[in-house]
Amino acid sequence: MIHNTKIAVRNFLFVLMAAGLFVAGCKDDDITVEENITKVEVQITGGGIDKKFAWEDADGDGGNAPTIETITLLPNVAYSAHIHVYDGATEINDEIEGESNDHLFTFTVTGANLTVSELNTDANGAPFGLESRWTSAASSTGTVNIKLYHEPTDKSNASNPGGDVDFDVTFPVQIQ
Amino acid sequence: MLKSKAIWLGFCSLVGSIGLNAQDCQLTLRGYVREEGTETPLAYASVFIREAGKSTSTDENGYFVLPNLCKNTAYTVEVRHLECAHFTEIVRIAETVEVCFHLHHDNTLPEVMVHEKAIVPRPSNAEVQVSAADLEATRGQNLGETLKRLPGVTLLNTGATISKPVIQGLHSNRIAIVNNGVALESQQWGSEHAPEIDPFAAEKISVVKGAAGVRYGVGAMAGAVVLEPAPLRETKGLGGWLSLGGFSNGRAGVAAGAADWHLPGKSLTFRLQGTAKRSGNLRAPDYFLGNTGALELNFSALAGWKSAHWKHEISASQFSQRIGILRSAHVGNLTDLQLAIDSPTPLNNRDEFSYELLRPYQTVQHQTLKYKAVLRLSDRWKLSNQYSFQYNNRREYDVVRSTGSAATKAQVAFRLWSNTLDAALEHLPIRNWQGGIGVQAVQQTNFVSKGGFIPDYQSFGGGIWAVERWRKFPGPWEFEIGLRYDFRQTHATTDGNFVDLDTIVRFGNVSGTAGILYHAGQYWTFSLNTGQAWRPPHVNELFARGVHHGAGTYEEGSPTLLPEKAWNTNLSARFERNRWSAMATFYRNSIRDFIYLDPSLNAVLTVRGAFPAYYYRQAEQAVLQGFDGNFSIPLPKGFAVEGACSLLRGQRKTPNAETQFDWLPLMPADRFQYGFRWGHKQGYLRLSANTVRRQTRIPEAGLLKAAPNGFTVLNFDAAHTFLIFKDKKPLEIGLTLQNLGNTRYREYLNFFRYYADEPGLNLGLRAKFTF
Repeated sequence: MIHNTKIAVRNFLFVLMAAGLFVAGCKDDDITVEENITKVEVQITGGGIDKKFAWEDADGDGGNAPTIETITLLPNVAYSAHIHVYDGATEINDEIEGESNDHLFTFTVTGANLTVSELNTDANGAPFGLESRWTSAASSTGTVNIKLYHEPTDKSNASNPGGDVDFDVTFPVQIQ
Repeated sequence: MLKSKAIWLGFCSLVGSIGLNAQDCQLTLRGYVREEGTETPLAYASVFIREAGKSTSTDENGYFVLPNLCKNTAYTVEVRHLECAHFTEIVRIAETVEVCFHLHHDNTLPEVMVHEKAIVPRPSNAEVQVSAADLEATRGQNLGETLKRLPGVTLLNTGATISKPVIQGLHSNRIAIVNNGVALESQQWGSEHAPEIDPFAAEKISVVKGAAGVRYGVGAMAGAVVLEPAPLRETKGLGGWLSLGGFSNGRAGVAAGAADWHLPGKSLTFRLQGTAKRSGNLRAPDYFLGNTGALELNFSALAGWKSAHWKHEISASQFSQRIGILRSAHVGNLTDLQLAIDSPTPLNNRDEFSYELLRPYQTVQHQTLKYKAVLRLSDRWKLSNQYSFQYNNRREYDVVRSTGSAATKAQVAFRLWSNTLDAALEHLPIRNWQGGIGVQAVQQTNFVSKGGFIPDYQSFGGGIWAVERWRKFPGPWEFEIGLRYDFRQTHATTDGNFVDLDTIVRFGNVSGTAGILYHAGQYWTFSLNTGQAWRPPHVNELFARGVHHGAGTYEEGSPTLLPEKAWNTNLSARFERNRWSAMATFYRNSIRDFIYLDPSLNAVLTVRGAFPAYYYRQAEQAVLQGFDGNFSIPLPKGFAVEGACSLLRGQRKTPNAETQFDWLPLMPADRFQYGFRWGHKQGYLRLSANTVRRQTRIPEAGLLKAAPNGFTVLNFDAAHTFLIFKDKKPLEIGLTLQNLGNTRYREYLNFFRYYADEPGLNLGLRAKFTF
């Protein structure tokens, strides 16, 4: 019987070792790719300036608070705005432009004397908004909220286009 | 040889064949208790000799020994088995020979014989078992659906396809799910992570309520769901079953089967079992629920063999599943969530039938390998050793840009490896005490992909336990006492987009249980059990950080949490007589350092907007108390009226001096089941109603969406067993109708109540052939 017990113990150890092999060398992150947007940049050109303003949360949700730059504009100038979207250091604009039919940028200005218009269009001619015209008026301060909708169901309804929100960021705006 | 037959109240009959030899009072009565026909040994049947005041229990092979009996003396032998009340037979012993008692189960009784494997007695906690009829009626549905008819058991759902059992208000890491002797180790912390269990592989499913930590480890702080496979075939040849089923809602199809092969001339038996399942979009009364299909493929293999002293069992199983998540439930931010909540019908919903599984969906594979060896040391003692390995691989696929690098890949992956080693030394009654001691060692490695809400971790643990139960047959009293110490060390690390974490946490504590059972006559049993159990805070409670999209909240762990300690007391009364049965359980579960999500007043700003922040905090105490009960009263002509109810009140202490207590979130609402049953020898019909009241006891902080209204849903099920072929093989045909009135309703404990109604009418048809 002692002999049997020994065999049993040896069996257990063997199975344990086999299981240990399973675990060894399994740390690989290439099985997943997350769609993380960590930075949204607004590139403003016109009126003699070409500047980028960033909304960035480098460490993801929670943790350190995001850093947000104030968009400063001159009064009474018509600017072109171009949005740049980043996942870490990688710009993902190509992905978004490649599926322009499934994306919509919306802009909501509060307080500031700023009008966002002339959103560029997607492959079907519906609003897209990666590029737009920002026209400033008298000196003022306020905010601009920019959202990117994925798979919107109604692109003509900018206040509630349906789908999911990929990002929803608000920049302070100062016109002076 | 002496043959006798007796029938006791139509429940069970016992056939004893006895031949004995003589030598004064040195005779030994030894033998087996077996099931008639199949020769399946009946374990834990008690054998009692009234005149000699001697008693014993059969071991796992149905074997018993009663020494020191006198020659030519008339002895009254009582044989009791859990399901069979007791049987009495007078025997006159003449010589020492092995005897064989054949216990057989009457066909009219719907329950299947219990085959208890362990010597250590079942807990004295309140316990309920899924009846064989209910188990068959819910074949093809998930574990939750199988359990939800039990009083005291409710479900926590994320849609209709993902459901987790809730025992007396507690779930996830606070309960254990023990499948074939192995505690399931997976990502149970997540409310949308359903247990990886194939109910087809189980023949018996029971729920132990209250602190069951002594027997099932730290996971079983509030109870355990215990699944046991059918015992392996003991007779030579091939046997098994094949089951086919279809459901109208979701146009689902299920095929399952198992075959046992007992090798001729050897003590070796093999089993292969498999289940395949496919379903498409479910339908609520007014619309299809887009992307709610599922695919499931499971198999298991078992082998068992015996030698003179050893008994070995090896098993391997794989569970794999792919479940679609209602597209409407995928919301980007709080504004989306509010829009979805305010909409009476689901938004972004593809209102059509399809089997196609689109993003968002999740896949999970769970593999289990188990080896168990039991060494019979003597007539009374045995040593069991068990090693189990589990690998859980969960991946979650989100809605992503179809041309991006994420398009073909999962967004989050969790992989968990668990190794568990158990050893137990158990004994049959010695001076009326029966029980055992044991040790356990656990090792786990968990890898989470970047951004996976919880950190990677490596944990080690161990436990040591002892349980003893006293009963002197036929005395009415039974006492139980058990003690356990567990230790866990977890090393959590992160890299990637988490704040770097490299922390070791250690927890150790004692669990205990004490119980008294009183058998008042043949029909009544009263039990009082009190127990302490604990659990270490899980890594998600300690270190989680991120937005929980289903709930629209930002959640953050707290690394300083202490273990939860539960003190649970339950008082049960049970009555069983012929077709009468009734059970009532009162319970109180007081949990010190109760871990909960505290809604703070601030919001966390993320790239998808601001989310309300919730932090894991500890309440000084939470108290859950309630009542579970059920009854079945026979009426003439095979009719019976049945009912069950579950009532629960859960509160936690708050620092607020005025109110002192606040209602706990997600506590099951009051629930009643009632109906008629008509049965005969080979079948039954049952019409039942399920009434759930509106949950009005909600936390002061309020709910994102008001608790849904109460509802009543009607269900019907019927089954008939035909005996076909020359050798009368049973073929069971069953019909189920769920939500007979196609009622629109939403469940408080379903996260998808924000978005959509529960499924409507579902007609199910099934056939099971046993060979």
